Amino acid sequence: MKNQGEKQTTDSLSEIMNIDRLVHSPARLAILTYLSVVEDGDAVYLLNQTGLTWGNLSANVTRLQEAGYIEVVKEFKDRKPHTLLKLTDRGRKAFQGYQNKMKELLDMKKPISREGWRISRLNRIK
Amino acid sequence: MDTSDQNEIERRVFASFFQAGFIEAFTSIFLLQLGLPALFSRSGFGDLESALLALPIALLLLIGVFLIRKFVVIPRLGKVRFLPERRRKVSKLMIVPLLTLIAGAIVGYIFAENASLRHIFAAQMPFILIPIIVFSAAAYFLDMRRLYVYGAIVGLVFPLGKYLETVIVSRNTLPATILFTAFVFLGMATVFFVYFLRRYHEPEV
Repeated sequence: MKNQGEKQTTDSLSEIMNIDRLVHSPARLAILTYLSVVEDGDAVYLLNQTGLTWGNLSANVTRLQEAGYIEVVKEFKDRKPHTLLKLTDRGRKAFQGYQNKMKELLDMKKPISREGWRISRLNRIK
Repeated sequence: MDTSDQNEIERRVFASFFQAGFIEAFTSIFLLQLGLPALFSRSGFGDLESALLALPIALLLLIGVFLIRKFVVIPRLGKVRFLPERRRKVSKLMIVPLLTLIAGAIVGYIFAENASLRHIFAAQMPFILIPIIVFSAAAYFLDMRRLYVYGAIVGLVFPLGKYLETVIVSRNTLPATILFTAFVFLGMATVFFVYFLRRYHEPEV
């Protein structure tokens, strides 16, 4: 019985290691969250909702674009540059996968015991 | 984050596009459209003339609100296309006032045909029920709870004006009550708009 509990804790810890780190960053998570609730939105919308600076937003958008999670369309409107952003199917799946995984981890009734933490560390060393 | 959390985020994002006082401005215009013809008709103009005089004022205000939205608010908030579910909800909202007007016309016709009912309801009920129905529908479809309160206020203005008319015997009491409420909403819209301008600045690209 005790072994089963330890195994469950160890599994949950290894699940944390498998989390999508591209989504896990607070800035990128905020970008994906605000893009997931609309069909598309421009950079000003994301800037206002996330509270990021232009530079920070641009850097994180580029990383998400490179991963194929978001689609970026740059155009000119009334002779002003306008950047439109949209979550791709891949991005939506990654975001949903991240949400499910985090929910599973956070919903686990059993708190991580000291013993479980020790076993997971030993496993990693092995 | 489950679906209900995401729905709440979506609701907040949608509501953030109405924080510049537009709801209050539209409510004010709605009340002006009720109060101004009443004021003009009690100043000696005919019913049709009063309505025609009030119409350009409302139209000018509406155009002003749309221009402010286009050139001041949207550049500060950014452009967004909401999900089809939200767009469907908003389009349903457009149907409700139309259905209410049709229902009002049918009810009005029934009352007009029946002389015993005419004096009891015909004069006041549309002014109470139509705002409550329209504002409640807007509150439901736009997910904005404060619109229920606005609907109740707008629905109560007309009977309150009628009641005050019996207390303060003046022929301008009813329009004054409606116009006072309209200016209160206009004041609220101005406060929200100034707060919006101080909070959001047009981003430098």
